[in-house]
Amino acid sequence: MTTTASRPVAVRWVKKNLFSTPLNVFLTVVLGAAIVYLAYLVIRFLVTSNFEILRVNLALFMVGSFPRAQLWRVVVALLLLAIMAGLAGGMLKAAARERSKDAGIRLAEVRGSRAVGSWLRRFWPLGLLVIAALALTRTLTPTLVAIAVVGLLVASRWLGAHLGPIPRRVGWIVVVLLPLAAYWILSASGLGWDDWGGFMLNIFLTIAGILFAFPIGVALALGRRSTLPVVRAFSIGYIELIRGVPLITLLLMAVFALGFFLPRDLRPGSVTRVLIVITAFEAAYIAEVVRGGLQSVPRGQSEAAQSLGLPALKITRLIVLPQALRATIPAMVGQFISLFKDTTLVAIVGLGDILAASSFANAQPAFNAQGLARITLPFVALAFWAGSFAMSREAGRLERRLGIGER
Amino acid sequence: MIPSARVPFWRDQRVLRVAAQVVAALAVFFLLYVLWFNVTNNMRARGVRTDFNFLDQPFGVRIAGSDLRPTAPVRLALLNGIRNTFALAIVGLPLLTILGVLVGVGRLSTNWLVAKISSAYVEILRNLPPLLVVIFAFQAVILRLPAARNPITPFGWFVISNLEFHVPGFRAGDNYRPFMLVVLVAVLLGALLWWWRTRVHERTGTPHHRWLWSLGTIALVGTMAYLILGRPLTITLPQLEGRVVDGGYRGLGAFFAVVGALAFYTSSHVAEIVRGSILAVPKGQTEAASALALSGFQRLRFVVLPQAMRIALPPIINQYLNYVKNTSLAIAVGFAEVTLVAFQAIGNGQPAPQVVVLLMGSYLVFSLVISLLVNLYNRHLRIVAR
Amino acid sequence: MRARTLAFLAVVMLLAACTQAADTTTAPTTDTGPATTADTGTATTADTGGATTTTADTGTEPSGGGLLGDIQSRGSLLCGVNETVPGFGFLNADGTRSGFDIDFCRAVAAAVLGDPEAVEYVPLDAQQRFTALASGEIDVLIRNTTFTATRDGGEGATFVTTTFYDGQGMMVFTDSGIGAMEDLANTAICVLSGTTTELNLATRFVDIPYTPLTFEDNGVLQPAFVSGQCDGWTSDKSQLAGIRSAFPADQGGPEALTILEETFSKEPLGPAVRDGDSQWAQVVDWVVNATILAEELGITSDNVDTFADTDNAEIRRLLGLEIESDDGTAVFDAGLGLEPGWAANVIASVGNYGEIFDRNVGPDTPLGLVRGVNDLWLNGGLLYSPPYR
Repeated sequence: MTTTASRPVAVRWVKKNLFSTPLNVFLTVVLGAAIVYLAYLVIRFLVTSNFEILRVNLALFMVGSFPRAQLWRVVVALLLLAIMAGLAGGMLKAAARERSKDAGIRLAEVRGSRAVGSWLRRFWPLGLLVIAALALTRTLTPTLVAIAVVGLLVASRWLGAHLGPIPRRVGWIVVVLLPLAAYWILSASGLGWDDWGGFMLNIFLTIAGILFAFPIGVALALGRRSTLPVVRAFSIGYIELIRGVPLITLLLMAVFALGFFLPRDLRPGSVTRVLIVITAFEAAYIAEVVRGGLQSVPRGQSEAAQSLGLPALKITRLIVLPQALRATIPAMVGQFISLFKDTTLVAIVGLGDILAASSFANAQPAFNAQGLARITLPFVALAFWAGSFAMSREAGRLERRLGIGER
Repeated sequence: MIPSARVPFWRDQRVLRVAAQVVAALAVFFLLYVLWFNVTNNMRARGVRTDFNFLDQPFGVRIAGSDLRPTAPVRLALLNGIRNTFALAIVGLPLLTILGVLVGVGRLSTNWLVAKISSAYVEILRNLPPLLVVIFAFQAVILRLPAARNPITPFGWFVISNLEFHVPGFRAGDNYRPFMLVVLVAVLLGALLWWWRTRVHERTGTPHHRWLWSLGTIALVGTMAYLILGRPLTITLPQLEGRVVDGGYRGLGAFFAVVGALAFYTSSHVAEIVRGSILAVPKGQTEAASALALSGFQRLRFVVLPQAMRIALPPIINQYLNYVKNTSLAIAVGFAEVTLVAFQAIGNGQPAPQVVVLLMGSYLVFSLVISLLVNLYNRHLRIVAR
Repeated sequence: MRARTLAFLAVVMLLAACTQAADTTTAPTTDTGPATTADTGTATTADTGGATTTTADTGTEPSGGGLLGDIQSRGSLLCGVNETVPGFGFLNADGTRSGFDIDFCRAVAAAVLGDPEAVEYVPLDAQQRFTALASGEIDVLIRNTTFTATRDGGEGATFVTTTFYDGQGMMVFTDSGIGAMEDLANTAICVLSGTTTELNLATRFVDIPYTPLTFEDNGVLQPAFVSGQCDGWTSDKSQLAGIRSAFPADQGGPEALTILEETFSKEPLGPAVRDGDSQWAQVVDWVVNATILAEELGITSDNVDTFADTDNAEIRRLLGLEIESDDGTAVFDAGLGLEPGWAANVIASVGNYGEIFDRNVGPDTPLGLVRGVNDLWLNGGLLYSPPYR
């Protein structure tokens, strides 16, 4: 394309999309000026700031006071989780491909540069975060680790996508076992989760919180739709009670009062206590998400199953729940994101997460009293924003894929 | 059909139902009893008071933006905190609604830049932890304002520093109470007229002019009462005298940081709801409106938005609830809403379990009332829809 | 049909809850084991029940049945610390901890376990520290905690020898022209919440109108002060001095800030242990005393090995060296339940009081504090250890 040929098109485009009416002219000018100014502020911040505090404390932000001699455990756990994620993604893709082949539909395969483009659209903030973090490191090791993680992700995804149906069963067992192995490796030297800190703690609290809360949430959702008035009343009472209060008050409960509710010999560490409360909190929200899913399953489904003579337990387990849970996937990702963001609150009750690490770094002799929160807080914000953004994009894609929006 | 095929009682639906419920109830009550047993025992063993008498003891410290002395009881300090939470809600909820609707509509704008900026606004804000948004608003916006020792006084109407904002306000005169009573009656009258004009409009199709009718009545009655009662209210401008600002209304900088940050944050969620709801209005509606030669604004105002809002209201109310719960994050920037006051009370030696229970209770009351209203509204909608 | 499923699910769910509940009930009713003696001991201060008193008394035998024995069999010391107080307790970039308070944690571990590294640090908030101490989450609280009557009494803590005598002060910007507390009338004052600082401020300013701005975290308080939201920042003077000396040059350097002369509270900061275990309290007490005594006797971490031939009897006793008497040689044992030579361990690993002070908060550190009242009594300070004999 030459510029002379494209200019009229460009002019027309600008006129149509930016300056069509007086109001639009006004909005374009004002907002354009605001954008330019904001960009100037961001660039000035990036150019003039000294990021030494982040450079020195990067490990503190990522893993808290996890012993530096044991950092290889974190690396191994990361690699295992990368394999898990890749394998699961690949196998899901293979399964979807086979299902559509059985149904006689040809899925439009996204390949080559378009596939890369789709990846970039979803995961560029994560890439940005990783690049920003790696730019702050002083040795080559973290870069090599990052390359290894990405390599393993791609390789295991390819492997997962090319497994036959039988090996795939084994694959799923491996997928379940890998996180357990990762946890075992992380905690093997007597470093249970009560000793974890930094971004690792935020991620752990999010994943563990959702996992532990999920079965309770499903039970509560079923309880809320139960025809037994007592069960329904308790479920509703619990859900509304928890959903009515801010998480921070429950966290206050965890650090100040939970000890009083437990028997005297039981003295869980602070991360454990917070995890208990997060699980209790999250269960109520998951219950509402699952309830939404249950409502989306047409009544005819369970009636049809009844007419086939299926017992009630089997109807719930085989007919209703699978459809309901499938419908809840995007909302569950949303819940996951909001819990991820809420884990910053643990800093207020004294846990050493990534936000607390910002305070720790600012109390060190080299950085005390210099107002360097203006450097550390944006970094913390970037970490959360990148994670949430990537997940919400992924949720949007899942929603479109599953065709849930179209029902 | 064998007559003896009567279901044995352990498989009888009715028996099972009752049994299951009894067991469930027993289990829950037993669990509650165990917790209660542990709490009372443990607290007594550790020498912590188990009663609520601490509410009458002095709070011990002052609270920013209130006249309470350190000798005031804990009860009043907590009430002051609840009042501040309420203030955050009253100011923030309308603000976030306006912002949310603007940005939500903006995302569907035909202006490319407006659409892109609106979607960037949503994507940036809703993916940040609200706690960080609050801290940023405080540090990067409010603290940038002039220091408390040399505030600016735009137009002589405002006194603004990063500590406090002072705006013109009313000062009560002699007949303040009767005047407010008259105004209240006028407002009720206005509402009544509104309803009457609407009915007339629906029945006869004559233009309703309900704004004119009701606001006119309120203005007329209010002005008359104001003149008759002899200036019951006067406007005062904030006056700077040394370090003291006299007159007008004031708000702490931290208050505006929290309101602003949470309104922006929550509005990003509201915008998504608004956008989704507008897209959910069938395309035929807009096309029909175009066929009637309605302008773009009229299509939006009279056809699309009313329908979209009906879809959007329940999730938006949910966001309102989230906003109210998130006001607890003010603790990070030192605005004395109820959570911060509770935190202070615990730090100054009041028994933590009771304080936390009161704190949760105050949020619960608010949330349950809103929940109830939403459920009632939902039921109402469902009846209308079928 | 589904109803029955749900009923079953609910029953199973609740039965599970029941079994858990059953576990929890048995614990409080049958607990008379030695591990909980400290708790029962606390009970005696609250109730006046005779029955509990007897169990507490039989439980707290001096033969290592108390917390000391627990710590030794556990092999690590649970020390409640702060993570955000410059000079006293903070996290280094490599995940290790440093500070004046941290050194005393290490000293106690060196005395009790012979290894200064055998410490499990438990970071605590101002609000949760006493709950953690009372509930047995930590063995000792060394977290710049002020010794007050209420905390000694009502909150179930026992304080030992003060490690740092501090006092509350007020810092202002030099160019603000504020020279005394009264000049702060009608201004805002920044303070951290949940500390005695907040209460002292209210007491000192009872007749002076002011707006308190209460923050949870120095990281937010400091920008508020620097940007002039509050005119005064009140805290312990050691903290203010630390902030002042580290104040960046591009904002005027230390001279831009002034700490007002007046000290309006006494803040004796020191370790605290749980009520009801006097043996453990004595151990912690004597660890602090040993560091003071070592400074007095001129023992440092560098020369602690060189006293084998000294004639000074007090040094020989303190370091656990053999003492000749009529019936041969013996090692002095004060009966604290510690190995002889414990004090030598302490001094070898963290040094004497002066070394701890200089290393963490002294003139050559960013805090740049002078000894002042925290000097030996010989030099006119308040540090005075009872004799070790």
